[in-house]
Amino acid sequence: MLAFVQVLTSGIAIGCVYGLVALSFVLIYKATETVSFMQGDLLMLGAFAALGLHAWAGWPLAAAAVAAVMAVALLGAALERVALRRALGRPHLVAVLLSFGLGMMMRGGVASVPAAAQDMHRLPFAADTIALGPLVLATSHLWVVAATLLLAALLAVFFRYTRTGLALRACSEDARSAALMGVPVARMHTLAWTLGAALAAIAGLLLAPVTFVHLNMGLIALKAFPAAVLGGLTSLPGALVAGIFLGVAEALAGLVLPEGAKDVVPYLLLMLALLLFPHGLGGSRGTRGRA
Amino acid sequence: MNPLRRLVLALATAVSFAGALPANAAGVSADEIVVGTVSDLSGPIAMLGVPVRDGMLMRFDEANAGGGVHGRRIRLVVEDAGYDPKRAVLAARKLVQHDQAFAFLANMGTPVVMASMPIVVDAGRLHLFPFSPHRATYEPLHPLKFQNFAPYQDYMEAATRHMVRERGYQRSCLLYQDDDYGLEVMKGVERALSGLGRELIERTSYKRGATDLSSQIARLRAARCDLVVLATVVRETVAAMSEARKIGWNVDMLVTASGYSAQTHELGGAAVEGLYGVSVLPHPYADGANSQLAAWIERYRARFNAEPNVWSVMGYTLADLFVRTAEATGRELTPERFAYALERMEFSRDYFGSPSYRFRPDDHLGNRQGRLAQIRNGRWELVTDYLE
Repeated sequence: MLAFVQVLTSGIAIGCVYGLVALSFVLIYKATETVSFMQGDLLMLGAFAALGLHAWAGWPLAAAAVAAVMAVALLGAALERVALRRALGRPHLVAVLLSFGLGMMMRGGVASVPAAAQDMHRLPFAADTIALGPLVLATSHLWVVAATLLLAALLAVFFRYTRTGLALRACSEDARSAALMGVPVARMHTLAWTLGAALAAIAGLLLAPVTFVHLNMGLIALKAFPAAVLGGLTSLPGALVAGIFLGVAEALAGLVLPEGAKDVVPYLLLMLALLLFPHGLGGSRGTRGRA
Repeated sequence: MNPLRRLVLALATAVSFAGALPANAAGVSADEIVVGTVSDLSGPIAMLGVPVRDGMLMRFDEANAGGGVHGRRIRLVVEDAGYDPKRAVLAARKLVQHDQAFAFLANMGTPVVMASMPIVVDAGRLHLFPFSPHRATYEPLHPLKFQNFAPYQDYMEAATRHMVRERGYQRSCLLYQDDDYGLEVMKGVERALSGLGRELIERTSYKRGATDLSSQIARLRAARCDLVVLATVVRETVAAMSEARKIGWNVDMLVTASGYSAQTHELGGAAVEGLYGVSVLPHPYADGANSQLAAWIERYRARFNAEPNVWSVMGYTLADLFVRTAEATGRELTPERFAYALERMEFSRDYFGSPSYRFRPDDHLGNRQGRLAQIRNGRWELVTDYLE
């Protein structure tokens, strides 16, 4: 029983990271109808930026983390302004390939720094554990869960109560009507990419104590994307819940099911969910009248 | 004369001049030997590729500074295939046709080696000491193929046998990466255990890139394992030890040579104290080094502005084997004569703490022995000699 709870907590924490990355997919997709294939690379870049500022430039960790997230957010905005904007109105594949290519350039850029390409690094925080009776929790996992809850709350407030958040929502519901109502759609697109990039960078920072900072840490996006799909690709709470669901399913399957079955489970669940709920767990049911 | 014309003329002259020379082995001229390597400088194992290349460069530079090998300088041509077999094929063709490499040294990564090896040996070039623990690199016997590292399963069989016999473990288990590497290790561990009349009590796997190992560790703990063999790479080694220590499980773990890296204790800190590992060559710690090793570390730091690691030592050692064999071959250097010399070479143990390497006309694998090490006070300490 203890082992079960122990594994469950790890599953929730990893699921939160999946969920955060899935959130960034969904945010961008909702606003721009583009699936971004560079979220994993933005995540890696965020972690390396924080590492660079802290370990090599000597900034305090907190300042380095904030600066890294802001830098990656700015990069997201700049990429939208310079490149991604031009893919609007073209076939979906253009934007997909464009984001894929940009991601490869980010990887290439980081790989050209020898120390980054050759080693794994650790961000010096959250390395210890906390004991709750017989249950032992890694502080890195607690950080992940706390940060995810906080971010989810902030996003909810942003989308519900702020003018910009409402405008962004309007824009993603129906861009044409939003434009007619005076919402600056182009600026909203920039904002969506900015937020998406920032979320990925935050996920990178949270993942750093768990998997260390290295060139391939962005591969976690391969797990987060199914979570986004499972959540319906258009629902923010759906993406988060689906991420946690996948993380927990994966962890518990490894403990309970016969050896070899656990790697199939998340994908089996994904197929099942898509069969039963074709619009995803949080998706609306075909009522979206997009022009 | 415009530059293009001048170039064409120069090329034409060079070609006709080369045609007039007596036939020579590819890549060997009056004053140069070309050695090629297909490495990984940008892909998933660039953390191995770069120090191996630097180690080789350092040894060849030393040979050249000392007047070369029988008056010929050695030139290393490095191609980056990034662990990609398609790029490896292109790189090997380029090195064979354009650079005319005399030999290929330390090609990096099993997919790369499997794709490029046929091109190399079909062109009649030597294929020496690739970083691929695959039998095809030395078996069946081929006049141009030589290997210096045994398959993982050979090292792990000896290491597991030694651990179980000496320390009396009753319930041995395995955590493995779900690919060829993990399965290879599993075979070795199973063979060692069945030789001792025991069985593998529990085995559990993870996919490459897995984030969390908590379910695997919980499963192994539930099976009451007293020895966990790890067929993992650095990150998963640290994750497995950290997870076990986190839940208060003080089980002994033994990792393959892939986890024997200074990164393991640099990243793992206190959590990896006590971890056993298989060492094929010792890590070059500056602290406590013998005088020759300390001087070597100094030279390496000065040359590359980086700390050497076990991969640097491997690169240096492989280049050293090449230089010494080329010296023993004599002034007339052909692949056949080089192979003949290598089949009769014996390399005794050196200041790195390497094993001895020995090749035979009927055996092109130079070494089959690893030794056990353990992380104590934040560094790998060797705890046994090379295991038979």
